[in-house]
Amino acid sequence: MPTYPWVHPSGWIRRDTYDAEQVEAGSMFPGFTLEQLRAHVLDPFDVAFALANPDEAACFSVLPNSRLAAGLASAYNDWLVDTWLRREPRLRGAMVVSAQWPEAAAAEIRRMAPTGLFAAVFLPGAARIPYGNPVYDPIWAAATEAGLPVVVHVHYEGVGTSGPLTGAGTPDFYTEFHTLNGASTQGHLVSILCHGVFERHPQAKLILMEGGLVGYVGVLWRLDQNWRSTRSEIPWCRRRPSDYVWDHVRFTTQPLEEPDDETQLAEVLRPLHPERTLVYATDYPHWDFDDPDQTLRTLPADWREPIRFRTAAELFGVPVPAAA
Amino acid sequence: MRTLRFPRSEAPAPGQVRTVESGGRRIGLVWIDDELHGLADACPHRGAPLCTAGMLVHRVESDGVRVVRHEPADRLRCPWHKWDFDVRTGACAEAPRMRVRRYRVWLEDDEIVVSLAPVRD
Repeated sequence: MPTYPWVHPSGWIRRDTYDAEQVEAGSMFPGFTLEQLRAHVLDPFDVAFALANPDEAACFSVLPNSRLAAGLASAYNDWLVDTWLRREPRLRGAMVVSAQWPEAAAAEIRRMAPTGLFAAVFLPGAARIPYGNPVYDPIWAAATEAGLPVVVHVHYEGVGTSGPLTGAGTPDFYTEFHTLNGASTQGHLVSILCHGVFERHPQAKLILMEGGLVGYVGVLWRLDQNWRSTRSEIPWCRRRPSDYVWDHVRFTTQPLEEPDDETQLAEVLRPLHPERTLVYATDYPHWDFDDPDQTLRTLPADWREPIRFRTAAELFGVPVPAAA
Repeated sequence: MRTLRFPRSEAPAPGQVRTVESGGRRIGLVWIDDELHGLADACPHRGAPLCTAGMLVHRVESDGVRVVRHEPADRLRCPWHKWDFDVRTGACAEAPRMRVRRYRVWLEDDEIVVSLAPVRD
Protein backbone atom coordinates (compact mmCIF):
# COMPACT_ATOMS: atom_id res chain seq x y z
CA MET A 1 0.00 0.00 0.00
CA PRO A 2 1.20 3.54 -0.62
CA THR A 3 1.89 5.40 2.57
CA TYR A 4 2.86 8.84 3.75
CA PRO A 5 6.43 10.05 3.41
CA TRP A 6 5.76 12.22 6.49
CA VAL A 7 5.72 10.72 9.95
CA HIS A 8 4.03 12.31 12.92
CA PRO A 9 6.87 12.93 15.41
CA SER A 10 4.99 11.46 18.35
CA GLY A 11 2.24 9.30 16.89
CA TRP A 12 -0.89 9.61 14.73
CA ILE A 13 -3.16 7.99 17.27
CA ARG A 14 -4.42 9.27 20.61
CA ARG A 15 -2.13 7.61 23.13
CA ASP A 16 -4.97 6.74 25.50
CA THR A 17 -6.70 4.59 22.86
CA TYR A 18 -4.24 1.71 23.11
CA ASP A 19 -1.97 -0.06 25.53
CA ALA A 20 1.48 1.33 24.72
CA GLU A 21 3.29 -1.69 26.16
CA GLN A 22 1.26 -4.16 24.11
CA VAL A 23 1.77 -2.10 20.97
CA GLU A 24 5.52 -1.91 21.55
CA ALA A 25 5.54 -5.68 22.03
CA GLY A 26 3.75 -6.04 18.70
CA SER A 27 0.70 -7.76 20.14
CA MET A 28 -1.75 -4.95 19.50
CA PHE A 29 -2.47 -2.41 16.78
CA PRO A 30 -3.17 1.00 18.25
CA GLY A 31 -6.56 2.52 18.49
CA PHE A 32 -9.07 0.43 16.65
CA THR A 33 -11.49 -1.53 18.77
CA LEU A 34 -15.22 -1.05 18.99
CA GLU A 35 -15.11 -1.35 22.77
CA GLN A 36 -12.71 1.59 23.00
CA LEU A 37 -14.83 3.65 20.62
CA ARG A 38 -17.82 3.05 22.88
CA ALA A 39 -15.87 3.88 26.03
CA HIS A 40 -14.14 6.98 24.68
CA VAL A 41 -16.79 8.53 22.43
CA LEU A 42 -20.18 6.89 21.98
CA ASP A 43 -21.09 6.42 25.66
CA PRO A 44 -19.55 9.45 27.42
CA PHE A 45 -20.82 11.94 24.84
CA ASP A 46 -24.23 10.28 24.47
CA VAL A 47 -23.75 9.85 20.73
CA ALA A 48 -26.87 8.69 18.88
CA PHE A 49 -25.38 8.59 15.38
CA ALA A 50 -21.74 8.40 14.28
CA LEU A 51 -20.11 8.03 10.89
CA ALA A 52 -17.15 5.62 10.71
CA ASN A 53 -14.57 6.81 8.20
CA PRO A 54 -11.75 4.66 6.85
CA ASP A 55 -8.14 5.25 7.74
CA GLU A 56 -5.67 3.14 5.73
CA ALA A 57 -8.47 2.09 3.36
CA ALA A 58 -8.68 5.72 2.25
CA CYS A 59 -5.57 5.11 0.13
CA PHE A 60 -7.23 2.63 -2.24
CA SER A 61 -8.23 5.47 -4.54
CA VAL A 62 -4.61 6.46 -5.13
CA LEU A 63 -3.39 2.98 -6.01
CA PRO A 64 -2.21 2.79 -9.61
CA ASN A 65 -4.00 -0.56 -10.06
CA SER A 66 -7.68 0.33 -10.32
CA ARG A 67 -8.85 -3.31 -10.34
CA LEU A 68 -6.97 -4.01 -7.13
CA ALA A 69 -8.45 -0.81 -5.64
CA ALA A 70 -12.00 -1.86 -6.51
CA GLY A 71 -11.48 -5.30 -4.98
CA LEU A 72 -9.95 -3.90 -1.82
CA ALA A 73 -12.77 -1.37 -1.45
CA SER A 74 -15.37 -4.13 -1.63
CA ALA A 75 -13.45 -6.25 0.87
CA TYR A 76 -13.14 -3.30 3.25
CA ASN A 77 -16.85 -2.49 3.05
CA ASP A 78 -17.78 -6.12 3.76
CA TRP A 79 -15.37 -6.19 6.71
CA LEU A 80 -16.76 -2.93 8.06
CA VAL A 81 -20.30 -4.29 7.94
CA ASP A 82 -19.38 -7.54 9.69
CA THR A 83 -16.92 -6.19 12.25
CA TRP A 84 -18.39 -2.82 13.20
CA LEU A 85 -21.68 -1.80 11.69
CA ARG A 86 -23.75 -4.87 12.51
CA ARG A 87 -22.39 -4.85 16.04
CA GLU A 88 -23.11 -1.21 16.89
CA PRO A 89 -26.43 0.34 15.85
CA ARG A 90 -25.19 3.87 16.56
CA LEU A 91 -22.60 3.53 13.80
CA ARG A 92 -23.03 3.99 10.08
CA GLY A 93 -20.25 3.54 7.57
CA ALA A 94 -18.65 5.79 5.01
CA MET A 95 -18.37 3.50 2.00
CA VAL A 96 -14.93 3.23 0.39
CA VAL A 97 -14.92 3.16 -3.40
CA SER A 98 -12.28 3.19 -6.11
CA ALA A 99 -12.32 6.80 -7.31
CA GLN A 100 -9.86 5.98 -10.12
CA TRP A 101 -12.47 3.60 -11.64
CA PRO A 102 -15.76 5.45 -11.32
CA GLU A 103 -17.89 2.75 -12.95
CA ALA A 104 -16.68 0.17 -10.42
CA ALA A 105 -17.24 2.71 -7.66
CA ALA A 106 -20.81 3.21 -8.80
CA ALA A 107 -21.36 -0.55 -8.85
CA GLU A 108 -20.02 -0.77 -5.29
CA ILE A 109 -22.39 1.96 -4.15
CA ARG A 110 -25.31 0.05 -5.68
CA ARG A 111 -24.10 -3.18 -4.05
CA MET A 112 -23.73 -1.80 -0.52
CA ALA A 113 -26.35 0.95 -0.24
CA PRO A 114 -29.25 -1.53 0.15
CA THR A 115 -27.71 -2.80 3.41
CA GLY A 116 -28.84 0.46 4.99
CA LEU A 117 -25.66 0.46 7.03
CA PHE A 118 -23.83 3.17 5.10
CA ALA A 119 -24.56 6.86 5.43
CA ALA A 120 -22.06 8.27 2.95
CA VAL A 121 -19.69 7.52 0.08
CA PHE A 122 -16.08 8.23 0.99
CA LEU A 123 -13.47 9.84 -1.26
CA PRO A 124 -10.02 10.86 -0.03
CA GLY A 125 -8.62 14.35 -0.50
CA ALA A 126 -5.82 12.76 -2.51
CA ALA A 127 -6.82 12.34 -6.15
CA ARG A 128 -5.37 12.25 -9.62
CA ILE A 129 -8.14 14.50 -10.99
CA PRO A 130 -10.36 16.82 -8.90
CA TYR A 131 -13.81 15.42 -8.14
CA GLY A 132 -15.81 17.89 -10.19
CA ASN A 133 -14.48 16.45 -13.46
CA PRO A 134 -17.20 14.68 -15.49
CA VAL A 135 -15.18 11.46 -15.33
CA TYR A 136 -16.61 11.07 -11.82
CA ASP A 137 -20.23 11.45 -12.87
CA PRO A 138 -20.99 7.74 -12.31
CA ILE A 139 -20.05 8.18 -8.65
CA TRP A 140 -22.16 11.31 -8.21
CA ALA A 141 -25.07 9.65 -9.99
CA ALA A 142 -24.93 6.46 -7.94
CA ALA A 143 -24.50 8.28 -4.64
CA THR A 144 -27.42 10.57 -5.41
CA GLU A 145 -29.58 7.67 -6.54
CA ALA A 146 -28.81 5.93 -3.24
CA GLY A 147 -29.53 9.11 -1.28
CA LEU A 148 -26.00 9.16 0.12
CA PRO A 149 -23.87 12.29 0.53
CA VAL A 150 -20.31 12.17 -0.74
CA VAL A 151 -17.64 12.74 1.88
CA VAL A 152 -14.32 14.18 0.78
CA HIS A 153 -11.97 13.79 3.72
CA VAL A 154 -8.41 15.05 3.91
CA HIS A 155 -6.21 11.98 3.49
CA TYR A 156 -3.19 10.73 1.55
CA GLU A 157 -2.45 14.00 -0.26
CA GLY A 158 0.80 13.74 -2.18
CA VAL A 159 0.76 9.93 -1.90
CA GLY A 160 0.38 7.23 -4.56
CA THR A 161 -1.04 8.49 -7.85
CA SER A 162 -2.35 11.73 -6.34
CA GLY A 163 -1.04 15.14 -7.25
CA PRO A 164 1.35 17.03 -4.99
CA LEU A 165 0.11 18.46 -1.71
CA THR A 166 0.21 21.99 -3.15
CA GLY A 167 1.75 23.72 -6.15
CA ALA A 168 4.73 24.60 -3.98
CA GLY A 169 6.20 21.15 -4.34
CA THR A 170 6.69 18.39 -1.82
CA PRO A 171 7.20 19.63 1.73
CA ASP A 172 9.79 18.12 4.07
CA PHE A 173 7.91 17.92 7.35
CA TYR A 174 4.73 16.46 8.77
CA THR A 175 4.06 19.88 10.27
CA GLU A 176 3.91 21.36 6.77
CA PHE A 177 1.73 18.53 5.49
CA HIS A 178 -0.73 18.82 8.33
CA THR A 179 -0.94 22.59 7.95
CA LEU A 180 -1.56 22.46 4.21
CA ASN A 181 -3.62 19.30 3.66
CA GLY A 182 -6.86 21.30 3.54
CA ALA A 183 -5.73 22.51 0.12
CA SER A 184 -7.06 19.24 -1.29
CA THR A 185 -10.63 19.62 -0.07
CA GLN A 186 -10.62 23.27 -1.12
CA GLY A 187 -9.45 22.19 -4.57
CA HIS A 188 -12.18 19.56 -4.85
CA LEU A 189 -14.83 22.04 -3.74
CA VAL A 190 -13.80 24.57 -6.37
CA SER A 191 -13.71 21.84 -9.02
CA ILE A 192 -17.16 20.56 -8.05
CA LEU A 193 -18.62 24.06 -8.17
CA CYS A 194 -16.93 25.06 -11.43
CA HIS A 195 -17.99 21.83 -13.15
CA GLY A 196 -21.62 22.36 -12.18
CA VAL A 197 -21.93 19.03 -10.36
CA PHE A 198 -24.92 20.33 -8.42
CA GLU A 199 -26.61 21.37 -11.66
CA ARG A 200 -26.19 17.88 -13.14
CA HIS A 201 -27.04 16.19 -9.82
CA PRO A 202 -29.47 18.52 -8.05
CA GLN A 203 -29.96 16.11 -5.15
CA ALA A 204 -26.23 15.62 -4.53
CA LYS A 205 -24.76 16.48 -1.14
CA LEU A 206 -21.11 16.98 -0.30
CA ILE A 207 -19.40 16.87 3.11
CA LEU A 208 -15.90 18.27 3.42
CA MET A 209 -13.95 16.89 6.36
CA GLU A 210 -10.81 18.16 8.09
CA GLY A 211 -8.13 20.52 6.96
CA GLY A 212 -9.48 23.63 8.69
CA LEU A 213 -12.45 25.90 8.01
CA VAL A 214 -11.13 29.43 7.76
CA GLY A 215 -9.52 28.75 4.37
CA TYR A 216 -12.90 28.09 2.77
CA VAL A 217 -14.02 31.63 3.54
CA GLY A 218 -11.28 33.19 1.43
CA VAL A 219 -11.55 30.57 -1.32
CA LEU A 220 -15.29 31.14 -1.73
CA TRP A 221 -14.91 34.92 -1.70
CA ARG A 222 -12.27 34.61 -4.40
CA LEU A 223 -14.25 32.09 -6.42
CA ASP A 224 -17.37 34.28 -6.43
CA GLN A 225 -15.23 37.24 -7.44
CA ASN A 226 -13.61 35.33 -10.30
CA TRP A 227 -16.91 33.83 -11.42
CA ARG A 228 -18.33 37.31 -12.02
CA SER A 229 -15.53 37.98 -14.48
CA THR A 230 -14.92 34.56 -16.02
CA ARG A 231 -18.28 32.77 -15.88
CA SER A 232 -18.39 32.56 -19.69
CA GLU A 233 -15.77 29.79 -19.31
CA ILE A 234 -18.06 27.76 -17.03
CA PRO A 235 -21.63 28.57 -18.12
CA TRP A 236 -22.93 25.37 -16.45
CA CYS A 237 -22.11 27.06 -13.15
CA ARG A 238 -25.26 29.13 -13.45
CA ARG A 239 -25.49 30.51 -9.94
CA ARG A 240 -22.90 32.33 -7.93
CA PRO A 241 -20.66 29.43 -6.79
CA SER A 242 -21.06 30.02 -3.06
CA ASP A 243 -24.86 29.86 -3.43
CA TYR A 244 -24.56 26.15 -4.26
CA VAL A 245 -22.56 25.66 -1.07
CA TRP A 246 -25.32 26.69 1.31
CA ASP A 247 -27.72 24.19 -0.31
CA HIS A 248 -25.41 21.27 -1.05
CA VAL A 249 -22.23 21.38 1.05
CA ARG A 250 -21.57 20.77 4.72
CA PHE A 251 -18.32 21.17 6.62
CA THR A 252 -17.11 19.39 9.76
CA THR A 253 -15.62 21.04 12.81
CA GLN A 254 -12.46 19.11 13.55
CA PRO A 255 -9.82 20.54 13.72
CA LEU A 256 -11.09 24.01 14.50
CA GLU A 257 -8.48 26.71 14.10
CA GLU A 258 -7.27 28.10 17.44
CA PRO A 259 -6.37 31.81 17.21
CA ASP A 260 -4.81 33.41 20.29
CA ASP A 261 -7.98 35.43 20.68
CA GLU A 262 -10.68 32.72 20.55
CA THR A 263 -13.40 35.26 19.85
CA GLN A 264 -11.88 35.94 16.44
CA LEU A 265 -12.75 32.46 15.17
CA ALA A 266 -16.53 32.92 15.14
CA GLU A 267 -16.22 36.27 13.39
CA VAL A 268 -14.01 34.81 10.68
CA LEU A 269 -16.26 31.76 10.17
CA ARG A 270 -19.53 33.68 10.03
CA PRO A 271 -19.48 34.00 6.19
CA LEU A 272 -19.63 30.17 5.99
CA HIS A 273 -23.05 30.25 7.71
CA PRO A 274 -21.97 27.70 10.33
CA GLU A 275 -25.47 27.66 11.81
CA ARG A 276 -26.59 25.72 8.73
CA THR A 277 -23.40 24.25 7.23
CA LEU A 278 -21.27 23.02 10.14
CA VAL A 279 -21.38 19.53 11.65
CA TYR A 280 -19.46 18.31 14.68
CA ALA A 281 -16.71 15.72 14.05
CA THR A 282 -14.29 14.01 16.44
CA ASP A 283 -11.50 12.60 14.29
CA TYR A 284 -11.25 9.86 16.93
CA PRO A 285 -8.86 8.08 17.41
CA HIS A 286 -6.43 10.46 15.75
CA TRP A 287 -4.14 12.64 17.82
CA ASP A 288 -6.04 15.87 17.16
CA PHE A 289 -9.39 14.55 18.43
CA ASP A 290 -11.84 17.27 19.50
CA ASP A 291 -14.11 16.84 22.50
CA PRO A 292 -17.66 17.99 21.58
CA ASP A 293 -18.25 19.99 24.74
CA GLN A 294 -14.93 21.81 24.39
CA THR A 295 -15.51 22.45 20.69
CA LEU A 296 -19.00 23.81 21.14
CA ARG A 297 -18.00 26.05 24.03
CA THR A 298 -15.70 28.00 21.72
CA LEU A 299 -18.55 28.79 19.31
CA PRO A 300 -21.55 31.14 19.61
CA ALA A 301 -24.51 29.75 21.57
CA ASP A 302 -26.93 29.90 18.65
CA TRP A 303 -24.65 27.71 16.52
CA ARG A 304 -24.31 24.92 19.07
CA GLU A 305 -27.50 22.94 18.61
CA PRO A 306 -27.25 22.74 14.81
CA ILE A 307 -23.56 21.83 15.02
CA ARG A 308 -24.08 19.28 17.78
CA PHE A 309 -26.81 17.32 15.97
CA ARG A 310 -29.49 19.17 14.00
CA THR A 311 -27.59 19.81 10.75
CA ALA A 312 -26.21 16.26 10.73
CA ALA A 313 -29.66 14.83 11.43
CA GLU A 314 -31.07 16.68 8.42
CA LEU A 315 -28.15 15.64 6.25
CA PHE A 316 -28.28 11.95 7.14
CA GLY A 317 -32.04 11.71 7.60
CA VAL A 318 -31.84 10.82 11.27
CA PRO A 319 -35.06 11.48 13.24
CA VAL A 320 -34.70 14.00 16.04
CA PRO A 321 -37.11 14.07 19.00
CA ALA A 322 -39.29 17.17 18.80
CA ALA A 323 -38.16 18.36 22.21
CA ALA A 324 -34.45 18.02 21.42
CA MET B 1 -4.80 22.25 54.95
CA ARG B 2 -6.62 19.48 53.09
CA THR B 3 -4.40 16.66 52.02
CA LEU B 4 -4.68 13.29 50.36
CA ARG B 5 -2.53 10.37 51.48
CA PHE B 6 -1.41 7.38 49.48
CA PRO B 7 0.87 4.44 50.32
CA ARG B 8 4.50 5.02 49.47
CA SER B 9 4.32 2.02 47.16
CA GLU B 10 2.15 4.17 44.83
CA ALA B 11 5.13 6.36 44.00
CA PRO B 12 6.38 6.11 40.40
CA ALA B 13 9.85 4.93 39.51
CA PRO B 14 12.21 7.74 38.45
CA GLY B 15 11.43 8.81 34.91
CA GLN B 16 7.89 7.49 35.05
CA VAL B 17 4.43 8.92 35.68
CA ARG B 18 1.96 7.22 37.95
CA THR B 19 -1.61 8.36 38.51
CA VAL B 20 -3.26 8.10 41.91
CA GLU B 21 -6.95 8.67 42.54
CA SER B 22 -8.98 9.70 45.54
CA GLY B 23 -12.47 11.15 45.80
CA GLY B 24 -12.78 11.47 42.04
CA ARG B 25 -9.56 13.46 41.84
CA ARG B 26 -6.81 11.98 39.65
CA ILE B 27 -3.29 13.23 40.22
CA GLY B 28 -0.18 12.28 38.27
CA LEU B 29 3.00 11.80 40.27
CA VAL B 30 6.41 12.26 38.66
CA TRP B 31 9.94 11.93 40.08
CA ILE B 32 12.30 14.53 38.65
CA ASP B 33 15.72 15.18 40.17
CA ASP B 34 14.88 13.45 43.46
CA GLU B 35 11.76 15.53 43.87
CA LEU B 36 8.20 14.29 43.65
CA HIS B 37 5.84 16.46 41.59
CA GLY B 38 2.05 16.33 41.33
CA LEU B 39 -0.02 17.37 38.30
CA ALA B 40 -3.74 17.21 37.57
CA ASP B 41 -4.67 14.41 35.20
CA ALA B 42 -6.40 16.86 32.87
CA CYS B 43 -4.82 18.78 30.05
CA PRO B 44 -5.83 22.47 30.30
CA HIS B 45 -6.17 22.61 26.52
CA ARG B 46 -8.89 20.03 25.80
CA GLY B 47 -9.18 17.97 28.97
CA ALA B 48 -7.22 14.89 27.86
CA PRO B 49 -5.95 12.45 30.52
CA LEU B 50 -2.55 14.09 30.61
CA CYS B 51 -0.94 11.89 33.28
CA THR B 52 -2.78 8.61 32.75
CA ALA B 53 -1.94 8.45 29.05
CA GLY B 54 0.73 11.11 28.52
CA MET B 55 4.42 10.40 28.28
CA LEU B 56 7.54 12.02 29.70
CA VAL B 57 9.74 13.51 27.00
CA HIS B 58 12.94 15.50 26.87
CA ARG B 59 13.08 19.21 26.20
CA VAL B 60 14.68 19.62 22.78
CA GLU B 61 16.23 22.84 21.52
CA SER B 62 18.00 23.87 18.35
CA ASP B 63 20.05 26.89 17.36
CA GLY B 64 18.97 26.29 13.78
CA VAL B 65 21.75 23.80 13.08
CA ARG B 66 22.42 21.56 16.05
CA VAL B 67 19.76 19.83 18.09
CA VAL B 68 20.27 19.52 21.84
CA ARG B 69 18.31 17.12 24.01
CA HIS B 70 18.16 18.12 27.66
CA GLU B 71 18.27 15.68 30.57
CA PRO B 72 16.21 14.57 32.37
CA ALA B 73 12.92 13.98 30.57
CA ASP B 74 10.90 16.65 32.38
CA ARG B 75 8.13 17.47 29.93
CA LEU B 76 4.81 15.68 30.05
CA ARG B 77 3.38 15.27 26.54
CA CYS B 78 -0.41 15.24 26.17
CA PRO B 79 -1.76 12.04 24.58
CA TRP B 80 -4.10 13.96 22.27
CA HIS B 81 -2.71 17.16 20.81
CA LYS B 82 0.89 16.48 21.92
CA TRP B 83 1.42 19.72 23.79
CA ASP B 84 4.31 19.52 26.27
CA PHE B 85 4.04 20.72 29.89
CA ASP B 86 6.97 21.41 32.20
CA VAL B 87 6.56 19.03 35.14
CA ARG B 88 8.19 21.53 37.52
CA THR B 89 6.02 24.54 36.63
CA GLY B 90 2.99 23.09 34.84
CA ALA B 91 3.55 25.56 32.02
CA CYS B 92 3.31 24.89 28.30
CA ALA B 93 6.22 26.67 26.62
CA GLU B 94 4.43 26.86 23.26
CA ALA B 95 1.17 28.24 24.72
CA PRO B 96 2.06 30.36 27.74
CA ARG B 97 -1.57 30.84 28.81
CA MET B 98 -1.92 27.09 29.26
CA ARG B 99 -0.80 25.75 32.60
CA VAL B 100 -1.70 22.41 34.10
CA ARG B 101 -2.76 22.43 37.73
CA ARG B 102 0.05 21.47 40.12
CA TYR B 103 -0.08 19.91 43.58
CA ARG B 104 2.56 20.10 46.29
CA VAL B 105 3.66 16.57 47.09
CA TRP B 106 5.97 15.19 49.76
CA LEU B 107 6.84 11.95 51.54
CA GLU B 108 5.94 11.43 55.15
CA ASP B 109 6.96 8.13 56.73
CA ASP B 110 5.44 5.45 54.50
CA GLU B 111 3.01 7.75 52.79
CA ILE B 112 2.82 10.16 49.89
CA VAL B 113 1.07 13.35 50.94
CA VAL B 114 -0.64 15.57 48.37
CA SER B 115 -1.76 19.04 49.39
CA LEU B 116 -4.98 20.27 47.77
CA ALA B 117 -4.10 23.89 48.50
CA PRO B 118 -3.41 25.92 45.35
CA VAL B 119 0.26 26.09 44.42
CA ARG B 120 1.39 29.68 43.98
CA ASP B 121 4.60 30.51 42.17
